[in-house]
Amino acid sequence: MIRPSLRSTLGCYAIILPGIVLLLTFIYLPVVWAFSKSLQEFEVGGPARFVGLANYREYLTLDPTCWPSVLNMLMLTMFAVCVRLTVPLIVAKLIHSLPRERWRHFYRVMFLAPIVVPGVAVQLIWQGMIYADNGMLNSLLSAVGLSGWARGWLSDPHTALAAVMMVGFPFVGGFEVLIYYAGLSAIPDSVNEAALLEGCTGVSKFFRIDIPLILSQLKLILLLTVIGGMQGFEGLFILTRGGPGFKTTVPGLWMYFNAFSFQRMGYACAIGVLLFLAIFALTLLNLKYFKSAEDVKGES
Amino acid sequence: MANDHDIEESAPKGLLGRVWKYGSLCAVLAVSAWLLWPGGAGAGAAGKAGAARANGRDAKHVIKFSPGTQYMPGSVPFGIGKPLEGLAKVVSRFERRFPDTRIEIINVPRVREYLVTQLSSGAAPDIINVNVEDVWVDVQKGWYIPMDGFLESPNSFVAEKHDPNLPGARQWWDLFRYQAISRGKAAPDGRNYCITMDMIETGIFYNKTIFHRLGLAVPETWPQFIAVMERIKREPHLTPLLMELSAYNDWATDLMFDQLYYNLLPGIDLVKDPAREPYLQGYLDGDELVFLLRKGFFGPHDKRYRELWRIMKQLKRYTNDDMTNADLTRQFITQQGAMYWTSSPLTYRLWSDHNLGFEWGVFYLPRFTKETSRYASGTDMCVIGGASAQFEVTCSAVGDTDSSLPLEDRMAKSERLKRVVSFLQFLCTPEQTEQVVNEYPCLIPNIVGVPVLAPLAPFEKILERRYTTTKWIFSFDLRFSDIQERMLSLYLAGGASLDEFLVWQKANLDAAAANLVRRKSPDLAAMEAQWKSLAPERAKMTDLPDEAREDHP
Repeated sequence: MIRPSLRSTLGCYAIILPGIVLLLTFIYLPVVWAFSKSLQEFEVGGPARFVGLANYREYLTLDPTCWPSVLNMLMLTMFAVCVRLTVPLIVAKLIHSLPRERWRHFYRVMFLAPIVVPGVAVQLIWQGMIYADNGMLNSLLSAVGLSGWARGWLSDPHTALAAVMMVGFPFVGGFEVLIYYAGLSAIPDSVNEAALLEGCTGVSKFFRIDIPLILSQLKLILLLTVIGGMQGFEGLFILTRGGPGFKTTVPGLWMYFNAFSFQRMGYACAIGVLLFLAIFALTLLNLKYFKSAEDVKGES
Repeated sequence: MANDHDIEESAPKGLLGRVWKYGSLCAVLAVSAWLLWPGGAGAGAAGKAGAARANGRDAKHVIKFSPGTQYMPGSVPFGIGKPLEGLAKVVSRFERRFPDTRIEIINVPRVREYLVTQLSSGAAPDIINVNVEDVWVDVQKGWYIPMDGFLESPNSFVAEKHDPNLPGARQWWDLFRYQAISRGKAAPDGRNYCITMDMIETGIFYNKTIFHRLGLAVPETWPQFIAVMERIKREPHLTPLLMELSAYNDWATDLMFDQLYYNLLPGIDLVKDPAREPYLQGYLDGDELVFLLRKGFFGPHDKRYRELWRIMKQLKRYTNDDMTNADLTRQFITQQGAMYWTSSPLTYRLWSDHNLGFEWGVFYLPRFTKETSRYASGTDMCVIGGASAQFEVTCSAVGDTDSSLPLEDRMAKSERLKRVVSFLQFLCTPEQTEQVVNEYPCLIPNIVGVPVLAPLAPFEKILERRYTTTKWIFSFDLRFSDIQERMLSLYLAGGASLDEFLVWQKANLDAAAANLVRRKSPDLAAMEAQWKSLAPERAKMTDLPDEAREDHP
């Protein structure tokens, strides 16, 4: 005889069971599979041979792309962190400061609307319309008499990485603006009124009141940007394929080429596992040392 | 109150409103279902073409054929002219001959990622059109059917005419016009997996109007070529020569290598394949390149090899800055570039454009002279072209046999494979090839007896030249080609010195050579014996790498 409470609990487990099975099958199992394959020399369609940690050793000590590509990844990620933690926040604050809701709504929609443009389209626009030999940037430089500065921005080894970083300028991502705006809107009126009574307004209020109270949002964006920066390579694949040379290659992109172009699946899995470990470690550090608004409140 | 008002407003609609609401929902669902249904709007032109030709659904053999973009029925090349229908007509004729067979023309992506997954799962089309280097990388996996046995047998559609003098009556091989290129498609295992019914060749398309305006003539030597480009470079907003990065990595590398090493061939060509040597005199296979690499060739101390990349950097001074992302066809058509080194399909784009606004012509790259390099052989530039449509038969064609059997047994037993080969033989007869290849002036027929269309005459002339000494990027694995292209782009763009590039290239070559030895185990001992026998030839040569000199300890 099963007790009603237990029956209810079993029912809940039964309901989430399909989700758990799917999660295990499509998320955790491939991770375990990738880890096992990273210990093998393995080509798609070919035999697999156990090689221990040789793939890891080769990538970390012999592959000349390893450390330059890690450096590229760090630079791209740090740049993304800097711009995503600042520019959208400033824009969100400006919108939030508008006196009329009608205009606040208008600007929210204006900044959010570009989200519907697919990332691939954005990359292609920058590649074909802005950075091309006869694109907007070179045309602009020629028009102002600086034609000597014109170049193939994505194929010039001295500008390729910077050109990739600048894609998305002015970096006002609608998603980030919305998150920050929500955070700013969640600050209680009583806090704002108290700050006003204390004479804390403008920039001073922004740094002393607003930012500490939206740390949770900043933490979220930081976490997502770091993870995205370390995992993401699709933009680079479209814009430069990691070139010229390896000037814009990141480990994720090299993993992709090894897996699907060179068919070195075991080697690619080793790079993937290393990336996973790096992201996991950074996420833990982030969670441990970057305080959220709730943590700050708790401490005070 | 608002809700009451809404209810009051909606009440008169009643049944009509509900009909409208659910009717529109049903319509959206119906349109979606139609769009998603196989053979619906999404099936595209190829699907329609296939459906119109198809024998009944109960056909014994359903052969899936992916011909690639050049001949895809229903497609419009360059967006100009009528939709293509030549291949669909040929397929219909074949199906009439073989009522138990249905050929399904399908369009699959030529991206490697897609093909690898399809091939490894046995779900690939029976006949696909992929680049030869992709095939070579995978031959040891049993994904492709070697065609040598079929090529060495009569083409059954020629044989049925009972005239032993007809090309193809004794061997299917004899039907192919460009023997060197066709046989050069043999994989590193020595077997041939490609059927090639057409040729693509490169040439320099030039703007005759600009040439006339600047008083320039078609160059006959490399120094003249440089002088022409120097003159064009002085014109504002005009690029002398348009080139994509792949053209440096592939075509330019092979042509310049041939110009600098041709005179060394008597001392370094070690393997004489009796089947291919009559057509590919002096061709250096990947095995030979590996052996020569070990003898000090193609490294930082090989003076000819250094010269190759130096000359290429010199050429880069006259070409477009952006080597990877630029739309060079547009630049040529809008007269921002005076010359464009590309392949024959551009002919159709230019020939069919009646509003082009300038005259154009085609010439081939001129030879190096001693002024270009002290190592110049003085021989005319060779050809580097190859098959455009490269049809390979996949292991799906033996899907009607027991997969546990060895491939040779499966090939012998498979009825489906026989029909697949029959279709390819049918396609390669002059009547059918002419219908397909000559539907528009784009590619040069590779079947004896099929005329070359007039606009392509310059390329027919170019193809009379000697075939290249080697095809570098096809000799090794795809990783080699990718890294060479990357580092070459860096070097040409000024991001790496010649020495830095050569250090990378040496490491790249060493890795590729090790991979080739591991996969193929070439007979290096036999090559060593041949190397020794050719010592007197090499004794006459100068500036060989230290390790290649006879006095080297």
